Formats: sequence, C-alpha cells, structure tokens
Amino acid sequence: MNESLSPSQLNLQMPRGVRSIHLRRHVFGVIAKYGTIIGMFLMIVVFSIAAPNYFFTISNFVNILNQSSLTGIIAGGLTVAVIVGELDLSIGFSASFAGVLVTGLMVYQKLSVPAAIGVVLSIGIVLGVVNGLIVANLRVNSVIATLGTGSIIVGINYAYSTGAPIAGGVPDAFLNIALGTLFGIPNNIVIMAVVLICLWLLINRTELGQRIQAVGGNIEAARLSGIRVDRVKIFAFIVSAVCAAITGILLSSLIGSGTTTAADAYLLNAFAAVFLGSATLKDGEFHIPGTLVGVLIIGIGFNGLAIFGAPTFYQYLFQGAILIAAVALSTVARRYSKL
Amino acid sequence: MDGSSGFAHGSSSSSAERLPFVRTRGIAKSYGGVRALHGIDLDIYPGEVHGLVGANGAGKSTFIKLLAGLEIPDAGTIALDTRPVVLLNPEQSTRLGLSFIHQELNLVPQFNALQNLTLGLPKPKRAGLIHWPAVRANVSGLIKRLGINFSLEVPVSELSVAEQWMVSIGRALIRQTRLIAMDEPTASLSPNESERLFEIIRELASDGIAILYVSHRLDEILNLCSTISVFKDGEKVLQQKVRGMTKNDLIHAIVGAEGVAAPPKRNADRLGKRIVLQLKELRRAPRVRDVSLSLYAGEVVGLAGLVGAGRTELANLIFGVGAPDHGTMLLDGSAYRPRSPHEATSHGVVLVPEERRSQGLILDRSISFNINLPFLKPARLFAPLPVVSTRRSTSRANEIMNRLRIKAETAATPVRQLSGGNQQKVVIGKWLTLAPQLLILDEPSRGVDVGARAEIHRIINELAERGAAILVISSDDEELPGLCDRVIVMAEGRIAGELRGIEITREAILRLNYQSLI
Repeated sequence: MNESLSPSQLNLQMPRGVRSIHLRRHVFGVIAKYGTIIGMFLMIVVFSIAAPNYFFTISNFVNILNQSSLTGIIAGGLTVAVIVGELDLSIGFSASFAGVLVTGLMVYQKLSVPAAIGVVLSIGIVLGVVNGLIVANLRVNSVIATLGTGSIIVGINYAYSTGAPIAGGVPDAFLNIALGTLFGIPNNIVIMAVVLICLWLLINRTELGQRIQAVGGNIEAARLSGIRVDRVKIFAFIVSAVCAAITGILLSSLIGSGTTTAADAYLLNAFAAVFLGSATLKDGEFHIPGTLVGVLIIGIGFNGLAIFGAPTFYQYLFQGAILIAAVALSTVARRYSKL
Repeated sequence: MDGSSGFAHGSSSSSAERLPFVRTRGIAKSYGGVRALHGIDLDIYPGEVHGLVGANGAGKSTFIKLLAGLEIPDAGTIALDTRPVVLLNPEQSTRLGLSFIHQELNLVPQFNALQNLTLGLPKPKRAGLIHWPAVRANVSGLIKRLGINFSLEVPVSELSVAEQWMVSIGRALIRQTRLIAMDEPTASLSPNESERLFEIIRELASDGIAILYVSHRLDEILNLCSTISVFKDGEKVLQQKVRGMTKNDLIHAIVGAEGVAAPPKRNADRLGKRIVLQLKELRRAPRVRDVSLSLYAGEVVGLAGLVGAGRTELANLIFGVGAPDHGTMLLDGSAYRPRSPHEATSHGVVLVPEERRSQGLILDRSISFNINLPFLKPARLFAPLPVVSTRRSTSRANEIMNRLRIKAETAATPVRQLSGGNQQKVVIGKWLTLAPQLLILDEPSRGVDVGARAEIHRIINELAERGAAILVISSDDEELPGLCDRVIVMAEGRIAGELRGIEITREAILRLNYQSLI
C-alpha cells in the first residue's frame, strides 16, 4: 500500500526555499547578537577616517569614557530593574533631584560634603522603596507607577529649588569629585567601573542576584519556589534609584551647580543603552557588560556629532533613533534566539 | 494556492483511499547538534486515526512542529496528496488543510464559541456590520455534526475543557481541514468527556479526515487508532495496523531494551508513626469544603478526583498560596498557617506544581540555576556572606542530576532544551537540596513517558523511605495504584472516601469518584 508512489515522484532534495530561510534566520541571528559590537567598531572607523586628528586620539577616547560614565552608572542601575521585569521611568528625574538636593544641602543647609552625599543616597533608597512598594504591593504597572513618581519628584524638586539653579558656594571638595583623577584616570570613569563591577557581582554572584534573575525569568515559578517576589522587586527599584542618585550627584559636581532639569535627558540614554546591551552577545537578555557596550555606542555617537559640530537638533534625532533601533534590535535578538 | 485545488481533487477521486494525505520522506531536524528527528518516513491516510506514541524527547513534538510550519526540516520532504510542499509558517499549513489542537487550546478566552469558531474568517454583514444571526445560521450544520449542546454565546473561558475541545475541533472543520493533529487530548478530560471526544474522532475519520493522535495513554491509543507509529530517539521504530497489538508490544517499542521498573514495595511497619500534617475542617470557598485529613511520615498518599474536585486548591492552601476561610492546620503538632510559599518552604513543606513549564521552571536558565534556586544558603562561598559559589552550586546540581538520573549534557544546559520528563525531574530536584518534610506533587507524571514516570515513582518511594510525607495528586487512574500506601478521593471539594493497601485499584478509585456525584 505504500508503493502507490515511487520515490522518484517525490523530490527528495530539500526545496530551495527552505535553504534560504535557514540562511536568513542564521544571518539575522548573527546580526542580532554581534550587530551592536560591529556597529560600535564601524562608528569608530568612520569617525576616525573622517576626523583623524580630533576623533582618533587617546585624549578623545578618555573624553568619551568620561562623558559616558554618568550614563553608565544610571544605565547600570536601570539594568537591574529591567532584569527583574520592570521599567523605571523616574530615574532621570530622580537624578536631577539628587543633583539639586546635594548642592542645596551644602549651600543652604551647610552640610559637609560626605553628609550631603549620604543624605541624598539615603533619599535615593527611599525613592526606590516607594517605587517598589507601588509596583510590588499595589500592583500598579511599573511604567505608570514610575511615570507618576517621576512627576512627583519633579514637583518636589521645584518646591525645594524654586526652579533656580543652585550655584554659588558649592565647596571645592565637591567639585573635585568629578574633576579629579585617580592614577591619571578621571574619577568618574573609576566610579563607573566600580559601580558596574559591583552590579555585575550582585546580579551574577549573590543570592539576591539569583532571585532577581528568577523573578525576571518566570515570576510565578519564582514565587512557587519560595522566593519573596515583592522584596526582590523593591530591591531592584532601590538599586535603580540609588544609581540614579549617584549620577545626579556626579553631574552637579561636574557642572558645578544644582539645576532642576540637568539630568532629565539621562532617562532616554539609559534606556537606549540597556536595550542595545540586551542585543549584545546574549539573545535579548539584559546584562551589565551589554549595557556598557550600549553606553559606549551612545557616547561615541554624541562625541562624533560634537566633533563635526552638528546642530543641537541632530542630538535629539540621534537620541530618538538610537532608542528605537535599540529596542528593535533587542526584540529581533530575542526572536531569533528561540530557533 | 495550488495546494487548495490539489486537495479538492484528492478527496473526490477514488484514489484517495490508497494515496496518503501526508507523506514524509527522510525528515531530519537537529537543534544545535542534538538530533531531534532522523529519517522519518511516515504516511497518514485520509480517514485514518493515526496514533503517535513515544517517550518524551522521542521527537513527536518536533514532528508536529514541522507539519505545523513552526519549524523547518533540515532535510527530507513533506508531500500532501503526493505534491511536495514547503511549510514555512502556520498560516500556510492551515491553508493546506492541516490543523493542530494542543493541550493549551488556542482559543480567545473572552470570546464566545461563535466568535472563536469564525475567528479570522470573513463574516456575513448587514449595513457594514457583522450580522451574527447569519453567522450562527452558517455554522448550524457544524454544530449539529459535532453534537454541540452548550451555549455559543458564553465566553469559552466559562466552558468545560471538553467543550473547549469541541470548539477547537469545530474551528478546524470550518476551515475545511484534512488532518487534525491532537496533542494529549484527554489529559484534562474526565472519562465521560474522553468517551465523547472519541465518538467525535471516529465520526470525523469516517468522513475522511485524517487524525494524528498523540498520547501517552496507551489503552486509549489501542482502542481508538487504526494505525500506530512509535518514535524512539528521533527515529520511527514501528508503524503498523493496530489490530492484534497489545499494550506490552507498545511499551516494548517505546522503551526498547530499558524496561520499566516496577515501584519497589515498602514495608508497612514504619507507617502510621508520626503525623506530619493534620488538616481540620479546612475550607476555602468554593473549591475546598471542610477537608480533614492526616499525613504520616514515610507515607505516600494519593489524592484522586476528577478535574475540578478541589485537589489543586487544597494543595495550594497547604503551600501558602491563598489562605483558608476556616479550619486549622497542624504541622508536626504545632499550628501552621503559611501566608506565602516562602513560609511553607521554610517549614519544609514543598510543592511540585501542576504546570511545570509555567509554574515550576525558569526555562531559559540552566539546570543548576533552577535546582539551586529555592535554597541558596548551602551553596555559599563563605557562610556569612550571601555570595553564591558556582563550584558548590554546580556540584549540588550534579549530585541531584545523578540521584534523579536527569539526562542532560551538563548542569549548565538550559532547562528549555530538556524533554518533559527531565524537566519534571528538575522541578522535583530543586526541592531535594534540603530534605523536605512534606512533598506535594500535583500531576507529577502528566505528559511524561513511561520510563520517566517509573523514575519519578522511584524517587517518590525513596523520599518516603527517608521519612518524608508525600501527597500525590493524579488524574491518571493508572498512576496511584502501586504507588500509594493510601488514596484519598476528593469530589466537589470534600473527601469522598479513602482506600488503603490492596483496596487501591483503578475501579475502586473511579467508583468513589462517581458515587458522590449523583
């Protein structure tokens, strides 16, 4: 009964369409995985050829790293929040508030530099706890929750500063944080390195990190494994808020004043970096080394724009385009990883 | 589009009797160097109920994915009505007359049956708006054919699983399907509902529709199917007419030379010594009503009942998912009122949940990650600091993998790549890094092959020997006899009866199930 068809009637070769599909999926997989790194090197090559005397110099690379360090810290914190499966849109506003508050505490309240920083970091913890409680216990979607708390933080910021920059009377010791160097390396770069290493260790080598990854991977399975999911989420929001506060403090040290909207733009850059990072080497998974690559790509891009004297509106175009490209790449990476 | 004209000819011509609807030759598929299928030649004829059996990981699901256009074969051909086709995506498979009904039915829960039946199809309109009475008239023939006697107007999420199956089958028929592949259709059906489904399947077959029936329930396969194919390790090891085949033949083909281990008999004298958990009139409306029972150390207790009897809900109460409205629990003689799974696990009460993929595992993470997750402290690098030692957690995972005979390359393999049976062992294994006092297993061998089931039973027995109390929920009436010291039957949230020792038979369990439902 099986002989009604001879094998020759069936085309035993694999149809051509199938082979090209395999190839296409493979190519997409490679692009998704290594595309960001290839893109970064392409940018370096193009800028180097276009402006060898300005771009391809050691001092410019140090400059790029230095400018990227604040984005690196805030994006590192955000990485922890997205690993746990939540978005934190309040970080830019928290960073601005931290910058205003730290200068204000020193100028108006006459606190010492360490005391002011300590108070601001503690307030960062409080902001994280509030975000976490709203998301984990009130079960408000994190986009909405942090959009709301972000706006409240802006309000508090204006109430404290009346909207005017706090400039005069900032102690030199504070200004020297961002301007100083350690063994010739700018402090900001050192601080970013320390923060990112700590975050990497936290995520990959601590019990809490295991739980953070579990909650992000499958919240129901995590809960049924005896993990206190609420606490893990609250902790992730604390990390994200504290990193935002560090970025805000360093920014006000860098610009020498506390300005109400100074760090708001870090929000978009941090998101772009984190999503670019998730498409780097791993299949759409968020991770700290990836975030660093994302941060560098953005830093190199802005640096190139500045060297070529591009008008300000280009920066906004670049920022928006790279955010969309980052999320698209991340999605593609995740899709092709499951094949 | 040539496909649609092709099968119009095929079904009308007399040669349809002899020509297979689906013919595959030399189908092969590998995932990252691991061979999932190799050289599969399979013919499925119109009007045939074709049983597909095999251990988990034998390649059944991969084969179905290829037919469904979800995966593309590395080599080989698929021909429909002798025409070679390339199935690139699910839409194409559907258009060519192939439909697939999985355990998790692909219905839109908040849509009613009518909306689900006609989902994505052009509908009769009046003044530009959908004219539902006309849609209803269009499907009336189908409703009659399937014997659907429930309302088409309520959301399908309110229908029983059996009714949802009928909607799914109806949806395939509306699309002029030629073949319906069904994956474990009776897994969540009651015996009556299953019988009903079999009738429908036989009717569809007599209308010339081919059925590809995937199941671990061998009695069903032998009763229902006309032809059976057995897959083992990615190859087809048997395809023959069912007439004259016995269950033993099938088991032999599925398992090969490995054999099926019988559960070891435990000596009864250590039973009944220490009560681990005592429930007194535990209630949580509407599913758990005044349940009182005691579980002893070293005892394996089965919890039988029909789907919806309240067994999972009872297990959840013991595990701290939701709180009881009334009643008390005593663990080791002292009051026990867990408010979360965290509290339950810290008391040594653990649960292997019903849905291993969605509730039991972090699929993208490694075996080691999943096994170590609940109890991380013993794997610390340096006891006072909550820092994980990779070496220690790996060796802990290896130990569990050896003990439970989890088959995988290394402890770093993501659990997504494991077969169902091995995934289930990982879910059990994650609770064994610390010895549990009470282990609850909810449908531990659902969707697991005979070999893995025997292994899981061996593990359960071993844990009982070590003094744990074990509660096994199972809807498979073949599972509890031979495994349990005691079986408690639940019906409609209450305890309907209890069986001990030699009283535990399939018939006795079924009788208790139905006696209380008058």
